[in-house]
Amino acid sequence: MLSYISRRLAVSFIILLTVSFAVYVIFAFLPYDPAALTCGKTCNDPGIIEANRHRLGYDLPFFTQYFLFLKGLLFGRSFGEGAAMITCPAPSLGYSFQEHACVTNVISEALPVTVSLALGALVMWLALGVGLGILAARFRGRIVDQLSTIFVLIGTSLPTFLTGLMLLVFVVIKWHIMPFPAGNYTPFLENPFEWAQILLLPWITLAFAYAALYTRFVRSAVIDTSNEDYIRTARAKGLSEGVILGKHTLRAALAPIATMAGLDFAGLLGGAILTESVFNLPGIGRLAINSVVNIDLPIIVATTLLAALFVVIMNLLVDILYAFIDPRVRVV
Amino acid sequence: MARVKKSTSIAIVAVLALAVIAGGLVKMSSGGSSKGGTITYLTHSEAWTHADPNRNYTGQHLAWFSSYLQRTLTSYAHAPGSDGSAVVADLATDTGRASNENKTWEFTLRDGVKYEDGSAITCEDVKYGVSRTFATDVITDGPTYAISMLDIPSADDGSSVYKGPYAAADNDTAAYDKAVSCSADNKTITFNLSRSVGDFNYTVTYLAFSPVPKAKDDGDAYDMHPVSSGPYKIEKYKSKDEMVLVRNDNWDPKSDSVRSAFPDRIVVRFGLAEEVRDQLILNDSDKNSMSLDSVLPTNLPTVFDDAGNPRAEFADRALNVYDPYVTYEAVNVKSLPCLDVRKAVYYARDYAGLIQLSGGAAFGGDPADGAIKPLMGLDYAKVTGLDEFIAAGNADAAQKYMTAAKSSCPDVYARATDPKRGLTFDTADTDTNKKAAAIWIDSMKKNANITMKFNYIEAGSYYSVVMDPTKQGDFSRAGWAPDWANASTVIPELFTETGGFDLSQNGADPAYQAFKEKSDAALSEPDRVKQGKMWAELNQYAMDQMWIIPRVFSKTQEIWGSGLGGVFFWEPQGAPSFGDIFIK
Amino acid sequence: MTLLKIESLSVEFPTPDGLVKAVDQVSFEVNAGETLAIVGESGSGKTVTNLALMGLIPKRTANILGSAKFESTDGVVNLINSNQKELRKLRGREIAMIFQDPMSSLHPFYTIGDQIIEAHQIHNEVDIKVSRARTIELLEMVGIQGAESRMAAFPHQFSGGMRQRVMIAMALVNNPSLLIADEPTTALDVTVQAQIMKLLRDLQKELKMAMILITHDMGVVAGTANRVNVMYAGRIVESAKVRDLYANPLMPYTQGLLASVPRMDRTKIGRLSAIPGQPPSLISLPSGCSFNPRCNRKTEVESGKCESQMPELRLRADEHLVRCFAGEGA
Repeated sequence: MLSYISRRLAVSFIILLTVSFAVYVIFAFLPYDPAALTCGKTCNDPGIIEANRHRLGYDLPFFTQYFLFLKGLLFGRSFGEGAAMITCPAPSLGYSFQEHACVTNVISEALPVTVSLALGALVMWLALGVGLGILAARFRGRIVDQLSTIFVLIGTSLPTFLTGLMLLVFVVIKWHIMPFPAGNYTPFLENPFEWAQILLLPWITLAFAYAALYTRFVRSAVIDTSNEDYIRTARAKGLSEGVILGKHTLRAALAPIATMAGLDFAGLLGGAILTESVFNLPGIGRLAINSVVNIDLPIIVATTLLAALFVVIMNLLVDILYAFIDPRVRVV
Repeated sequence: MARVKKSTSIAIVAVLALAVIAGGLVKMSSGGSSKGGTITYLTHSEAWTHADPNRNYTGQHLAWFSSYLQRTLTSYAHAPGSDGSAVVADLATDTGRASNENKTWEFTLRDGVKYEDGSAITCEDVKYGVSRTFATDVITDGPTYAISMLDIPSADDGSSVYKGPYAAADNDTAAYDKAVSCSADNKTITFNLSRSVGDFNYTVTYLAFSPVPKAKDDGDAYDMHPVSSGPYKIEKYKSKDEMVLVRNDNWDPKSDSVRSAFPDRIVVRFGLAEEVRDQLILNDSDKNSMSLDSVLPTNLPTVFDDAGNPRAEFADRALNVYDPYVTYEAVNVKSLPCLDVRKAVYYARDYAGLIQLSGGAAFGGDPADGAIKPLMGLDYAKVTGLDEFIAAGNADAAQKYMTAAKSSCPDVYARATDPKRGLTFDTADTDTNKKAAAIWIDSMKKNANITMKFNYIEAGSYYSVVMDPTKQGDFSRAGWAPDWANASTVIPELFTETGGFDLSQNGADPAYQAFKEKSDAALSEPDRVKQGKMWAELNQYAMDQMWIIPRVFSKTQEIWGSGLGGVFFWEPQGAPSFGDIFIK
Repeated sequence: MTLLKIESLSVEFPTPDGLVKAVDQVSFEVNAGETLAIVGESGSGKTVTNLALMGLIPKRTANILGSAKFESTDGVVNLINSNQKELRKLRGREIAMIFQDPMSSLHPFYTIGDQIIEAHQIHNEVDIKVSRARTIELLEMVGIQGAESRMAAFPHQFSGGMRQRVMIAMALVNNPSLLIADEPTTALDVTVQAQIMKLLRDLQKELKMAMILITHDMGVVAGTANRVNVMYAGRIVESAKVRDLYANPLMPYTQGLLASVPRMDRTKIGRLSAIPGQPPSLISLPSGCSFNPRCNRKTEVESGKCESQMPELRLRADEHLVRCFAGEGA
């Protein structure tokens, strides 16, 4: 098991390095001049552009730039001179002229928001999706199952942007069921109640969409598993339906759900763009989309890498988790 | 861009410019107003474009930051209507003392003015703040008046020999010290200008002339934590999140005759979805909040009636007013040296169809007749010779000019009517612009048999493309607002080669030299009334030559919650009077 | 002693295409300690019969009629109209089952030890250690080497034959009085088949339990069963002691089945023959005798009788029942 994990870790590291290089290559060949983007929207003075190009190292050969980027990650990096010198300590991902801050700081401020959003939504949609999926499978064809079908239909067809907007406009603005949150985001450690209050509707919005998918998936997984021979064996042993479902069916049916949840969770950590936008949460998703709109290259590189990092990490975790759930994987 | 800074004004400027108004008179009478509470501003923007005072350039941002956080030597009076365009003393004891034919200006700082940390604001701080605007590679986007006005020589490449406080090499700091100097008591600042500037005390209302403590300056990053000299200080500022202002205990109301400082706390919520932002105000969810953005077109009918007046329930919490902008199509005179074709384009255009795209006249504004808006008062005179204008397009007039063009300029005529070549039109690649393009193409073909070809340019790089003479087409979509209430910030900027936004390339016009001389004369004309007449004549000439196809004298709409009082449109900044808003 | 007495057992599945009679009026008995083989092709109803006995057919999917009286330690229980709770007490304790495919019949995520211990724990209120000991005992009994360490292994770490041994150990852990073995060797290699059948035979004798052996393979039946029921299209078509059936099969279908098995005791070496045609669809059974389209002895009966009437299951000899007009006499 240990050698399995260390082997996977090594592979993950190589994947990340490759992704970082690929991202760098892509942006090097984009038809945008990163230097021209550092001196404001109206920058048309070649002198300023060249000065900034030199200051930020965009005049260096491509491989040197990439090497400096990697070096910055390990040892930090400074740009410019005098009072205007910018120093970004390790791990440095560069400096954003849109955010007027080191990219690492920008990311580390946005990350807790996205993690809070994704984690809460994950818990909610797993509880709802798995619960409803099991009920629908257990009472197949009955009223619970039919209601769940309606839920799945609505949840999968409504875009999260619309769900979120409707929740906000009706629940908060028109009906005053909940107050409009006093802030865009409050850290959990600062005020857990406000944290939850601000995130409740975003959680519901995300959970609604994912829960619908998971309900459908869990329902069919449970039904498929109940038709397995080993479930018939369990019944022949004289086990009660509850034990069969809880111990035998779910363990097998939910194993693939763990993989799915892990990857969906990784996707959300990379940024829940629409939900963050509707609920003005200052998370990674909005950072990413704005960086694309503003062509803020250092942030684009950082958010892309971050998204890749999460996918790689979650893949690794899911595989390790899966190896614990399914003993057949361990020998591979 | 289009130097999208706002300001406007009216007639009496000439009188006010010389008048020294005692502080106490300028503060709004605070009848019914009260202190305390939290005012919340809502915006779709992810952050302020800039919070660094030296980089602030748009009217709304100048209005907001000057009301709450930054003081300058002089300020516009906090008053509705034309009174707002009066310049009053702020950090300085008066509105400045000019000498040497308006080439030397002196301002003396008041006693007891302090930063948020309690340290005194000195002449050196103002001087340092102004010096930063020379570092155009770091302090980007701000106005560059100091560079163009101060008496500092230019290097061979045309840039200033002084490069700001950050540059180490090849930097003529001595030249700057000569142009801007401080008295021995560090209280009086003297600006030496390269030419006469009669309204330099308007120029210094810009936050580009506000004090910055050198010790706290960290270049680009200062944008996230500027030091306050005003009645509030920043408690929190996070892009995509919010800005929170709390009272600055080191601000002494006795030292400030401009600001009222009613609320205890001011919050700006960034990044709200546009519909959410509007609905919060429309439903009065937080009575003490105000939108910083224009109202979504779909929500305008909820707030205003067809005539553009606020409906009863929004009577005292909505504004529909002229903003300082004039929008137009800049004509590339060099590529289109044919007045008859330019006129044909002007008359053939379906103006009615275009204004409908901006919500109709009630919300979009009125047909523009030149580069100067009537709000400019003194400098505006109705442009004559445009009598054949018909909103839906005048085919007869257009064809008349096209017939004339056949003989007056056969080459341009042939190109304009050739479906394979046609005239070219630059526009930013947005949905609205594409709809406008369809109207243009259609009405040109129908009314003047002109083929119009559109060149869509990615929005972010639009201006850098059209401002490159080698890339510019025949027409470029543009807009402009004066920097302050003087067409000196319009006519020379738009129509002379030394201007910052000369898209017309009218140096090619035979009459340009005379025009330029008259413009220079107007710039240094000390008599404001005479000067206004000269601007109006120059505007008339520009229109006679159709250097621009004027579009709209545009309007803007503002909405806020029922709990707020004291809101009026602060004309010089083209924005609400943030500093005078209180909680009822 | 009669351990299980089944009378007129029918299992019908309503489907959109009509009523499927998977089992039709089946009656038979199983005595304590004896082995009854139920033989037939797929779809003949042999597996459904036994699933019905175990209560493993969901009530809302099927109509189950008739009775199946089982002599449990707590008295006679009718398996057909008992509720799930009562049946659960019998399942795994008094009636155990092993299935065709040992590959898929064990839960892949649990160790075989856990799975057997679970089967023991559910019916015995004893300490887990007792169950462990019992499990080891059973694993040794079914011939698994190093039982104690192998308990911690997962099913995928065993070969097919070994897994079936594990299944057998699990079925026998509570000393059932009846073991239902549903095609226990079908999925296994031929050499392993013989080993497993021998194991079942030995254990059955040792533990004195009754066994219902469900198979399509007449070869498996010969050395193991005491009695044989041959099923075709949901009905019993012939029932006899195993020796009588082999010596004197009376139903043409049975004859066909036997002819398809290679036999060492026949001196004359002939070709193995297959029964022509396909098993009938249970939705559209042929009228008359279900076997008539494939029957080679219709000529012995008056014309049209096989196509129009269903023959009764009649006693032809000592404990030898046959459902066929041929040889029935007038």
